[in-house]
Amino acid sequence: MSNDKPLLEVQHVSKSFPGVHALKDLTLDVTPGEVHALVGENGAGKSTFLKILGGDQSPDSGTILFKGLDLTRSGGRHFNYNTHVARRLGIAMVYQQPALVPDLSVAENIFLGRYSYKPGGTQIDWKDTRRRARDLVDQYGIDLDVTSKIKTLGAGQQQLVEILRAVSRKVKLLLLDEPTSALSSEQVDILFNDVLGRMLKENVSIVYISHRLEEVFRIAGRVTVLRDGAKVATERIEDVDENEVIRMMVGRRIEEYYVKHPVPIAEPLLRVEGLRAHGLIADCSFEVRKGEILGVAGLVGAGRTEMAKAIVGLHRKDQGKIIVEGEEKRIDSPRDALTAGLVYLAENRTESLVHCLDIAKNITLARLKEVFRAGLMLNRNKESAIAEDFVNRMHIEATGVGQVVRQLSGGNQQKVALSRLIYCDAKVFILDEPTRGIDVGAKVEVYNLMYRLLRDGKAIVLISSELPEIVSLSDRVIVAYKGRIVAEYAGQEISQENIIQSATGRRSTHGHSVSAT
Amino acid sequence: MVTASRPLERATIRDSIARFEHFGPLLALVLLVALMSVLSTAFLNIQNISNILQQSSVNLILGLGMTVVIISAGIDLSVGSVLSLAGSVMALMAIAWGVNPFVGILGGIVVGTGIGMLNGFIISSTGIPDFIMTLGMLSAAKGLALVLTRGLPVPNLPPAMVFFGSQLFDTIPVAPFVALAMVVLVWYLLNFSMLGRVAYAIGGNREAVKASGISVGTYKVLIYGLMGFCVSIAALVQVGRIYSANALMGEGLELQAIAVVIIGGTNLFGGEGGVGGTVLGALIMGVISDGLNLLDVSAFWQTFFVGALIVLIVVLDRMRRR
Repeated sequence: MSNDKPLLEVQHVSKSFPGVHALKDLTLDVTPGEVHALVGENGAGKSTFLKILGGDQSPDSGTILFKGLDLTRSGGRHFNYNTHVARRLGIAMVYQQPALVPDLSVAENIFLGRYSYKPGGTQIDWKDTRRRARDLVDQYGIDLDVTSKIKTLGAGQQQLVEILRAVSRKVKLLLLDEPTSALSSEQVDILFNDVLGRMLKENVSIVYISHRLEEVFRIAGRVTVLRDGAKVATERIEDVDENEVIRMMVGRRIEEYYVKHPVPIAEPLLRVEGLRAHGLIADCSFEVRKGEILGVAGLVGAGRTEMAKAIVGLHRKDQGKIIVEGEEKRIDSPRDALTAGLVYLAENRTESLVHCLDIAKNITLARLKEVFRAGLMLNRNKESAIAEDFVNRMHIEATGVGQVVRQLSGGNQQKVALSRLIYCDAKVFILDEPTRGIDVGAKVEVYNLMYRLLRDGKAIVLISSELPEIVSLSDRVIVAYKGRIVAEYAGQEISQENIIQSATGRRSTHGHSVSAT
Repeated sequence: MVTASRPLERATIRDSIARFEHFGPLLALVLLVALMSVLSTAFLNIQNISNILQQSSVNLILGLGMTVVIISAGIDLSVGSVLSLAGSVMALMAIAWGVNPFVGILGGIVVGTGIGMLNGFIISSTGIPDFIMTLGMLSAAKGLALVLTRGLPVPNLPPAMVFFGSQLFDTIPVAPFVALAMVVLVWYLLNFSMLGRVAYAIGGNREAVKASGISVGTYKVLIYGLMGFCVSIAALVQVGRIYSANALMGEGLELQAIAVVIIGGTNLFGGEGGVGGTVLGALIMGVISDGLNLLDVSAFWQTFFVGALIVLIVVLDRMRRR
């Protein structure tokens, strides 16, 4: 296999977005009939790389040779590589989220835009289209009615349809981004044994992104580890084991630029008991104490964000008690949460900020009564003074408190969002990915800010997909897996290895929180 | 005051022009006035200008409420019909029921404001789109007005009721002063009250407002209530201008109101805009329609131009924001 001339050669590809260096000088190759796995933490650049290969984004520099043809701008002055060209070249991309038309049938979706026509070429031959779809489904041994509408299918079946759509074309290179995250284990077997196995026999190459290392070891020939947008190594799968790969993925240590200051931990500020919500969160219980950071780890989709939103009243709770400082609180809306002293920083900054308003107006949004007397008289001086105080304290880099938030960098936007929460004078801060997409300097500032909050007697629930962050900041860590809390670690047990084991469902601790009832 | 700033982009003249939000509409108004002065000698005289102000007043008053609605990413298609209904209620109370004209005016204001609040309430409590709710109200309010008036005009209104659309000493129109008072009121609310602040915030990011513990529904009711109040005041002016009320007196005014807001540069998708632009928008519309009259262009063409202008403005705005 390795003697073959590569189908795909990626050389020195780099890509940056405002504030983030997503890919740094990435070089790798994919040989015909090979499964090449890409692994790395969230934000390591895997998905960006796949989008570049699929023609969704173009790299800033570097070359990509597909069968000797350069797909980047440097390849030819008039050549514009995009998703359309990708399909014609035989490069098929399957996204994490299926992009199907919910009201059309399986057959209609698979052959969308490529229906069979009756003789004469003006009328669609639905019968033949359905037959082709049925052939395809049968060929891969999938149990699926091709006439059912997509919206009636489960997430796993939809994902399979998405994959079928990709492979129904003449494919030479298949790009899969976490294809199994929605699949049951039977469906994973179908995908691996029937669909992918067959493609490999036809000498199709596959680039495969997954968080589930056991899958990588099951099908990949080689694995490339990415960290912070750069390649750590490419290894033949038989030359490494899972632990080695995990070590390469995490490598970096936050301790190098962040020192944890011990803060005395006191009484519990927030207790959550038996929380159920959203059809996804099943029986979550935990507590967080004054002066403590409780880390919440888990894979994307494990239900951490939904859990947080249910606690602060952004999602409906089906069951469960919220106890703040020993007193049970009824929280049905964010307003109730604010009154109880709970605030939530949304995972996504576009969710938390009003981008067309200025810094001052964003900071005071949750406590407008402080700056509007009787709701009718704005005290501009007071508002500016409050905002200026935050701009100084939080080191928000801006031309002034009147600068529109949209014009700020990601890190500064995050500081504005945090300022609003701090101005609410809450007791418990639930921070969802507070450092996602911001640069290292801003990260350190956010960490120091969290430390100051602890010193002021607050408690922090830190939801993060960055393991080094969780490990080095948290006093305790709970791990969510498929809507349940499966493990809790404290002190010396808090390690990236332990957390990854639990987050991927391979290990749970003493059933403490899993089956309390 | 503020710590280390990132290097600012060097402000060029073009940037500062782009930053002055009213530049486009102001330039358009100046050019239009200049063009009209050249094309028609009758344009630049006191009588004509007072005409323009008089005729722009209703559009402007409606446009003020619509500015707040559009800033909060809503839209109100019912304002024309509600104006007819509020005007009819005022006139009927004074004529058919014989109550004091001021009580009649108050009745009209209560009906107009109440319908606005009802719009806001149904939108926020059921989650149906603003567009659909107010489209339904367009027909419902018109129907009610027709039922109440039996489809007939209500003439011979008492002097107190027609005062706001009349002319002082037969020369000075009152309507522009009513409009001015409304401009001050809505400008103040938009810039110095929680209502205005929350309107901008809802238009910019509704989710962030909700997450900040603010009841979006309550503010929707207030915003559409303010719209309804503006509609009632516009009805009062309109009743005075035509010395009577009828169930179709406001027909098509919703489009005019939306047009003056959009021409004034308020973002159709919410979050950005203001009263200043709407004043300019109303004057631009006033000059265009007055100018077309002076140039003997048929009223039918005027209707066409309004439609074309709205589309053109939104297209230009999109291109600018890219």
